Amino acid sequence: MRSNSTLVAVALGVLLLAGVPMLLSQGLVNAAIQMLIAALFASAYNVLCGQAGMLSFGHAAYFGIGAFGTVHAMNALGGTGLLPTPLMPLAGAVSGLAIGAVAGWFATKRTGTYFAMITLAIAELLHALAPHLKGLFGGEAGVSAMRMPAMGLNFGSTTQVYYLTLAWVLASLALLYFYTVTPAGRLALGLRENGHRLRFLGYHVHGLSVLVFSISAMFSGIAGALQVINNEAANYVVFDASLSASVVLNTYIGGVKVFLGPALGASLMTFFGYAVSDLTQSWLLYQGILFVLVMMFMPEGLAGLLGLAAREQRRLGLARFAPVLLACVAASVLLAAGTTFVVELLQRMFSQDYRALASANAAAPWPPITLLGHAWLPAAAVTWLVPAGLLAGGGVLLLAVRRRLQPAQAESEPAAHAPAPLVQSPGGAA
Amino acid sequence: MDTLLVSLLNGIIYGLVLFMVSAGLTLIFGMMGVLNFAHASFYMLGAYFAFALQGVLGFWGALALSPLLVGLVGAVVERFFLRRVHRYGHAHELLLTFGLSFIIAELVKLFFGNFPVNYRIPASLDFAAFRLGSSDYPAYRLLMGGVAVAMFVLIYLLLTRTRVGIVVRSAIYRPRMAEALGHNVPLVFMGVFGVGAALAGLAGAVAGAFYTTNPNMALELGVMVFVVVVVGGLGSLEGAMLASLLIGLITSLAVAVDATLADALALVGARAWAEEVGGLLTLKVSSLAATLPFALMLLILLVRPSGLLGEKA
Amino acid sequence: MHAFRVLALSAVAAACLAAGAACADPVKIGVIETLSGPQAASGQMYRAAARYAVEKMNAEGGWNGQPVQLVEYDNQGGPAGAADKLKAAIADGVHIVVQGASSAVGGQITEDIRKHNLRNPGKEMIYVNVGAEAQELTGEKCHFHHFRFSGNAPVRTKALVLAMKQSGALGARVYAINQNYSWGQDMEKAVVDTASLGGYQVVEKTLHDTNKIQDFAPYVAKIGAAKADTVITGNWSNDLLLLMKATKAAGLKARFGTVFLDQPGNIANGGELTLGHYIAHAFNPEAAGADGQRFVADYKAKIGHVPTFIEPQTVFGLAMVADALKRVKPEGGKLNVNALAKAIETAKIKTPMGEMSMRAADHQALLPMVVSTVARDARYKADDTDMGFRPVKVFSGAEAAAPVQASCKMQRPS
Repeated sequence: MRSNSTLVAVALGVLLLAGVPMLLSQGLVNAAIQMLIAALFASAYNVLCGQAGMLSFGHAAYFGIGAFGTVHAMNALGGTGLLPTPLMPLAGAVSGLAIGAVAGWFATKRTGTYFAMITLAIAELLHALAPHLKGLFGGEAGVSAMRMPAMGLNFGSTTQVYYLTLAWVLASLALLYFYTVTPAGRLALGLRENGHRLRFLGYHVHGLSVLVFSISAMFSGIAGALQVINNEAANYVVFDASLSASVVLNTYIGGVKVFLGPALGASLMTFFGYAVSDLTQSWLLYQGILFVLVMMFMPEGLAGLLGLAAREQRRLGLARFAPVLLACVAASVLLAAGTTFVVELLQRMFSQDYRALASANAAAPWPPITLLGHAWLPAAAVTWLVPAGLLAGGGVLLLAVRRRLQPAQAESEPAAHAPAPLVQSPGGAA
Repeated sequence: MDTLLVSLLNGIIYGLVLFMVSAGLTLIFGMMGVLNFAHASFYMLGAYFAFALQGVLGFWGALALSPLLVGLVGAVVERFFLRRVHRYGHAHELLLTFGLSFIIAELVKLFFGNFPVNYRIPASLDFAAFRLGSSDYPAYRLLMGGVAVAMFVLIYLLLTRTRVGIVVRSAIYRPRMAEALGHNVPLVFMGVFGVGAALAGLAGAVAGAFYTTNPNMALELGVMVFVVVVVGGLGSLEGAMLASLLIGLITSLAVAVDATLADALALVGARAWAEEVGGLLTLKVSSLAATLPFALMLLILLVRPSGLLGEKA
Repeated sequence: MHAFRVLALSAVAAACLAAGAACADPVKIGVIETLSGPQAASGQMYRAAARYAVEKMNAEGGWNGQPVQLVEYDNQGGPAGAADKLKAAIADGVHIVVQGASSAVGGQITEDIRKHNLRNPGKEMIYVNVGAEAQELTGEKCHFHHFRFSGNAPVRTKALVLAMKQSGALGARVYAINQNYSWGQDMEKAVVDTASLGGYQVVEKTLHDTNKIQDFAPYVAKIGAAKADTVITGNWSNDLLLLMKATKAAGLKARFGTVFLDQPGNIANGGELTLGHYIAHAFNPEAAGADGQRFVADYKAKIGHVPTFIEPQTVFGLAMVADALKRVKPEGGKLNVNALAKAIETAKIKTPMGEMSMRAADHQALLPMVVSTVARDARYKADDTDMGFRPVKVFSGAEAAAPVQASCKMQRPS
């Protein structure tokens, strides 16, 4: 019964994704391509981090290597490309696998924090050397290529690129999922839980770690290749630490325990960046606040939140659950609105131009600020009462909801008391 | 000869500045087992608080008060954020500090703007200490170095010779036992985190006047501090000092070296081949000056992961 | 506001469909800049200048009776984000893309627009480059739909050298220190190429990592050891400020010739050590006469601060585009972008600094350059300090121009 409904859900999801270009505008289709690529990257990362328990800080290196491998393959043979365009991500896979195997061999000699530091060092070294190696990485304008027509399609429109990306992402996710149910994939869980014991059981732990690392790097390379096919250019800024950091954040926000969790987290955060970055200058602040809130209050990530909601719905029954859900949503909306209002107000108040205007006119020291089409006076009480009210309302609703959810928290508490350490304590040198 | 002396002095002073920032980080790591990504943000906060207070309290007053404020911020972060996430594992703590570094950077940009601010050395300290060859050596640099050395001596004495220090060290090694003996271990944790943050804040207040104070300060110094902590040994104060001096000297002396790998290969007669191959072999050491610390970090991690003076597992 | 704009655009489009063919498609200008993150400072200035220029266009009647619409996109700091937002701009029907803060982003945008135009004849776009000064954009990467309205390395260096020589500040020994990427390498080559014109010897050239170095003391030691009279650098932001601070700390007496000394915050942070150093830039209100003062006052009233750094060149560049727009008639209610491009090629306007025109061979604008020095007696003060930029010499567009590069092979539409 369970697996049937999961299959149906997956099929529905695939159908929905396939229908995206027909339902949404071209701009949103492009955003969807970015979301798919981020989802693949996060899922590949989770193979290493969530399943094998090795937190890597420099995974952007393999994404970038895949990207550059692909762009050079596209430019090879005088521009016609080593492979037909639909098969181009294989170049990314091969380069990611090759470099991943080498880097993994060195990195997995250590565990825990030291492993993380080695991956960081490799990525930073690559990032620092890339600008100097112009033949390979093309300087700060990067290397550009052009998609060549193949199989009767010219790959000139966003829709065709979307379907190509969708096909590769679905195939890669399927392969990753099947990998996790093979014995080798299962052994990776053993790596996370107790590497010593695994060694005593006779398994070659270092070889296994290198295998997991290589597979993760290979699929990261495919994600990098897909980005290059979409953008037709690769630039060494892809090795930046912020990309490595964002994939870690996306994975944990989505939830590491569920297979599709990181994909969910990555899609949502990519969409958040796409939608909000044009609306406000302070969107990085909102993103940071979101990260911190998720880390503090949703340790299992969004997938865990959905699981909690499902459990609650079963426990309370739909009739009693619906108002709780509505209250939760209302509380979040109110708190978000209040916070956004205050931040936007402060941002305009402290901007240089406003301060110049304020000091210029001694008679009216605090000119009004336009927000949401309404002029607010900083000196007026109502300007501050509105957000205060929103925040207070949201806070009250939140407290009420927490009391309702208390028993459910206690249910999941036992799991939290003995957490599987995702990074072993310092001093765990192999 | 003079150029060499100047480079040596510069390297040592730069290394001492790195030490001021990384001392707190290595102590916090030794205590909590988590790398605090927000540490460089405390450095930035120290500089900005000093800038904001400068108008009211003057340079020395701001220098004294700003680390205390940053220490307070650090204590709040530990008590209300990190403690809550502690039971979910190290990864969550790490990511929380990462998110916090974002928030701090954006808040600084919100209140102080995107451009560098006018936080400068006061005129009373802006003189040359002595002349070396054709250039002056500014006295403020020596002041920075002096503060760093004083910091090192004070912390070392505090940790090894005072009762508080012994309690802190025991809480680091055996927190449960220390708690069983009646010490308030959570308070110790909060205190160490706060003091670590305050040290970074002091570094920011002192160095921000000499280098520029801008919202990207944390990013500029952040990665180098990690390199120092890893090379020196996670948790070791002496290691941090040694590593920062080493990295400071390497960065400073490398700038004067214009040799390349091709020159080295010339010793075996392979120069022409090396120059034909190009790429890595023809890169000058001087243009790689900022990259060498990462190579050092990788080497240390592969050969001796516990760092130069760290505890062997 | 992006969502509102899309809504507004759709409403206009719907109204047009209802009204019939008499209604015209408004001209859409998209600014794709770094508006958040570590490099946001310059991006926000480009946006402010673009807003001012578009407001002016609409005050003069817009195009074909309709206001010109400005849409803003945040490229989130890098070429990959810029490629994404360019696709969003294409989807929104933007005709003209404006950008200037980074040569890396400029390189990405110019290539993407070239490919888009190849694949979509009839739906072309123009890239108005108001600040990406790397040589390759009017060299190997030049194409018919890219126009650069700012200076570039040879132009800036030539002006700097000639003016400093005339005021006797140049000396015979010049040190070139630059950032190790295309812009810095272009500057280094320009300094070497101008040596005979300036009558100096390049004693040493150094390229350093971009935006990574905190401590410039080792580099300053090299400058001192080389006994240089003048240091010419294209450094910007921290790299310039820290270099100058380190030079002053070491008590070195070298004179600086720079390109980006007027970036906001530099004078305030540097203080007195910036006095007496030179900069080659596109606008100095003190040298711009009554027109310049009017422009400065108007800009300050609308935007909130005096136009500085890259804002004037953006405003003048968009004024040239506005001049070209006036000469283009709508075809079937729509803007023919190729006709606009041909009109920009022949655009000639009078700016407060002098005449500005476009060179059709490589689409590099010939704009006047002014070389200024930091002084206490400048009429317009910078960064709320008591110092400002006093003009030393103004070069007309033709005087400042550098020759067309051989690597530019522009293909023109028939």
